[in-house]
Amino acid sequence: MGIFEIIMDTLVFIFATNPFSPWIRGVLGGLVIGAVFGGALVMVYLERKFLGDMQSRIGPNRVGGRFGVLQLIADAIKLFTKEDIIPVKADKWLFIGAPIVALTSGFLMVAVIPFDYLYINGNYYAVAVSRMDISILYLEAVSGLAIFATFMAGWGSSSKYAVLAAFRNVAKMIGYEVPLGITIISVAVMAHSLDIVEIVEAQSNLIYEGSNLWYIIAQPLGFIVFFIALLADVGRIPFDQTEAEEELVAGWATEYSGMRWGLAFFAEYLHAVVGSFIVTLLFLGGWNGLPIVGNLFIPGIFWVIGKTIMVMMLFIWIRAALPRYRIDQVIDIGWKVLIPLALLNLVWATIIGLTLA
Amino acid sequence: MTHEATQITSPTKPSEILLHLGPQHPLQPGPFLLDLKIEGETIREAELKIGYIHKGMEKVFEDRTYLQILPLTDRICYLASNSNNDVYCRGVEELLGIEPTDRAKYLRVLTNELCRLQSHLLGIGEYATDVGFLTMFIYMVREREGVVSLLEAITGSRLNHNYARFGGVANDLPPGYKEMALKTLGELKKQVKSHDNMLSSDSIYLRRTKGVGVLTAKEAGELGVAGPPLRAAGVEYDLRRMEPYLVYDDLDFKVITQNDGDVFSRVKVRLLEILESIYIIEQCLDQMPSGPYKQDVTPYITRPKAGEVYARIEDPRGEMAMYIISDGSDKPYRFRIRGPAFATAQALPPLLVGGYVADVAAIAASMDSCTSEVDR
Repeated sequence: MGIFEIIMDTLVFIFATNPFSPWIRGVLGGLVIGAVFGGALVMVYLERKFLGDMQSRIGPNRVGGRFGVLQLIADAIKLFTKEDIIPVKADKWLFIGAPIVALTSGFLMVAVIPFDYLYINGNYYAVAVSRMDISILYLEAVSGLAIFATFMAGWGSSSKYAVLAAFRNVAKMIGYEVPLGITIISVAVMAHSLDIVEIVEAQSNLIYEGSNLWYIIAQPLGFIVFFIALLADVGRIPFDQTEAEEELVAGWATEYSGMRWGLAFFAEYLHAVVGSFIVTLLFLGGWNGLPIVGNLFIPGIFWVIGKTIMVMMLFIWIRAALPRYRIDQVIDIGWKVLIPLALLNLVWATIIGLTLA
Repeated sequence: MTHEATQITSPTKPSEILLHLGPQHPLQPGPFLLDLKIEGETIREAELKIGYIHKGMEKVFEDRTYLQILPLTDRICYLASNSNNDVYCRGVEELLGIEPTDRAKYLRVLTNELCRLQSHLLGIGEYATDVGFLTMFIYMVREREGVVSLLEAITGSRLNHNYARFGGVANDLPPGYKEMALKTLGELKKQVKSHDNMLSSDSIYLRRTKGVGVLTAKEAGELGVAGPPLRAAGVEYDLRRMEPYLVYDDLDFKVITQNDGDVFSRVKVRLLEILESIYIIEQCLDQMPSGPYKQDVTPYITRPKAGEVYARIEDPRGEMAMYIISDGSDKPYRFRIRGPAFATAQALPPLLVGGYVADVAAIAASMDSCTSEVDR
């Protein structure tokens, strides 16, 4: 079987369960990728501006008017025109491949993210590139790919800082993927499904039809564990040991320059954005409106995007407010605190899930 | 802990690697090389190599007239330029047998304390970035801006002030200075208290800093470390109290000490010293006598009588001393600087051994060493 057929099979697998026509699916895929791409750009911009406000400084204010909206474009032009350096001692293919793997894992995650659940001609359609029965499992698997990227980059650069950062990242991921997985299982147990669309739908009728009791209310402990583990997973303060500037320069991206660094940087934000989407969908009710009050005539897609932006803001707020943990403390927290709490939450979710079933 | 210069040995086990932090590294305020032999994340051996920006200042001073040396003392450490001016001037004044005027004494104390404020503020800020707390750095730089403006209003420059003169100071306070200073300092006091609160109550920060990089009083004494690192170890050693120069014996202030000698205590000492310095400055502004701010006659070329002098000052970083030998000519015969940062820098490698790579930045920044002064 040639490489082309493998790719086609994968694409067919991704698109097979989508009820829309191929034409709509294509457009939808483009739109969704564009939306998430734009989401990552929005996050970079928000981070600069919002963090600037919190730290009582101005942030970008030159390119594109006084709010500096075109700053990212200026940065992209700068990155594209910079010299592309591959260190002599680097393992060339690992070095080149790492940012691509990082970005690919981010975009593969986007494929199953539903934005809305539309009722058209008596049928429900999920606005997603692909609707799978096991989409949450798929997300978990694909997000795990990101770790390969950092390790490829760290090992391939043959720089001591980068290798140390890659080791740190692997240690951290092993510790934090477990509580992340367990909290996802608790959500799935409560919703009786591995399909994100059904998980979100289950949140709208937890106790009675249309109650909109989000899972953050049904399992607050699960939300806390999931959010902390996600912070570690996307490598943001207080868990950004892999790029701790004062110790490891730029961590695993130390040897990268120009657009390769840009891709690595962008992939990180992409993961943060997708992470925000997952928090929104699993714990904040996705396209369901506020508890009790309901949707307030606002379309579901705006609820999803609005909540996602709120989660991103929370990421940025945490970055402004907290210092960084030491790597051994991070591992300690992962194994000794988060995993027991996640298991406790699983028991709770099982009991509640069975009672309300 | 051995006090001989430790030399790092090359790694023997495959699990050990040699990590160079420097001479160019985001950790550093200036170029030095910190070689670490690490096993996993644990530091086995550490060695500090200095001399990348050695300027030979002491030798340069021997070829300058006494007045020409004065602006160069600023450049020993740009964060302590007022202290350096002051200690040099006091040394030369002792050689000349003159005294600064009363008002000049108060003005020098005032600028010295302002200098301590801005040095501590920036020191804590840099340290905060080293534990990954960028917000605190920016807050500290914001607070420092007000203090630097106060210094600028008196001395005319923001970094290298060159303010003290033999027997006086360069110029008097500008009109309306007291109101301006009290306003800025009142605001600063409020902000520093809130930052202190923020740092003392942040659980992540406490976990990063409590019990890390402990320098005991005995070790500090043996290595010649003074200033905040020594006071953080519980020793009440402050030249302003022990050997009161200028008008410090007329002023009321506490010597801040902490007991643990760890990273947290060193930063806590600095934060509390900021509040104490503000108190000193307020007293200075209140008690300052009127009168001339300099001697009537300040000779352009000074020829002190032959002799030697050892002048000391409580620098923001510890004990700064200058040893000047005069042979009666217009240039010093021998000049020697005893810098506080040099002592704190040599205390660094023993503190790192046995710790984690992630703590290097926090410990180094909490010692608040200054590469410019180490390599003077």
